[in-house]
Amino acid sequence: MRLIHILIGKSILDTVFVGSLAVVFFFFTFPPHFKGWGEATADSISGWAVNSADPGHRVELQLFIDGSFVAMGTANHSRPDVLAAGWSRDEWNGYRFEVPSLEIGDHEAHVYATHVSAGGLRRTLQLVGDPIRFSVDESGRLINLQGKR
Amino acid sequence: MTTEPSIASPLTLTRVGKAIAGWEIASVVISCLIAEWVVLSLAGTFRWLIVVPALMAVALMVLSHRERRETLSDLGFRLDNFYAAARLLLAPTIAAIGAILIGSWLLNDSGFIVRPLGIRHLSLPIWVLFQQYALQGFINRRAQIAFGKGALSIIIVGLLFSLLHFPNPLLSVLTLVGGLLWAYVYQRQPNLLALALSHLVVSLTLAVTFPKGLIDSLRVGFKYFA
Repeated sequence: MRLIHILIGKSILDTVFVGSLAVVFFFFTFPPHFKGWGEATADSISGWAVNSADPGHRVELQLFIDGSFVAMGTANHSRPDVLAAGWSRDEWNGYRFEVPSLEIGDHEAHVYATHVSAGGLRRTLQLVGDPIRFSVDESGRLINLQGKR
Repeated sequence: MTTEPSIASPLTLTRVGKAIAGWEIASVVISCLIAEWVVLSLAGTFRWLIVVPALMAVALMVLSHRERRETLSDLGFRLDNFYAAARLLLAPTIAAIGAILIGSWLLNDSGFIVRPLGIRHLSLPIWVLFQQYALQGFINRRAQIAFGKGALSIIIVGLLFSLLHFPNPLLSVLTLVGGLLWAYVYQRQPNLLALALSHLVVSLTLAVTFPKGLIDSLRVGFKYFA
């Protein structure tokens, strides 16, 4: 019967080890430090992004529209309103992606922060803010649909 | 009127004993799979964490031997049947070496090449002995308890040895064949030293003659994709 106890104990340790590894992996690979917000303006997707664990670091971003990669950039534009609201320690956290010509109709943009971990072995994308829903009219202008159904 | 068999009845003891032996096999194999797949994929630069599942598996095997009162001689660390086991292994080991040499000759673009041994090969004798101990001295013995001596337990040992070398197709096939052979010989003559010697000679032949491109890709588990 002692062997059964040993096996149960090892099974628990295996589970705890794998569970701990998974939680630590998730924390370091997808750290909960990225904050941000975005919207569609007339000709761009704009917003701000900060890494609260490293406020002086400019967040690298990637823009995807309708699931396809569009552009990459850095959140280093001036956003004094973000500083004033207390989200960051300086004002250089804004981003702006010019949007290429899109078909008329509704679209959805996702802005992701890129995060490098495991000594450069891993690079992950984390959604910054909410998905940005917008529409393109006949003149090619973007119309923000945030908050609309 | 029927009665529930008591926990001490021979039938239940046999069933429980078989189930525990199966659980022991599963537990050790799971530790290996955790090391190969979970640690190497999730731990990143902390690869040394691979020692955690390895130590847990070794601890289980050692405690299990103590609980079952198995001696080193029972496991196969002995000399009295070395020549009997070596006789059984001689022909298939020579055949395996021949197959590897022919394969190396056919697969090498620049003809048959024999590379010198490296420093890393020095640990190979210990490594193959440990593999044979875990595979035969533990898994094979438990498989014989769970499934009986013979074809079924031999096949299970071969398949598990192959599983631990997934997803590498070359190693999966080679270890399946090797695992079946060594499991068969162990059941007839349990001698880990002879098995390790056979394993060592085959591994060294593979290491020094097989095309370097294929040798470098002799990775298993998550590392196969790295």
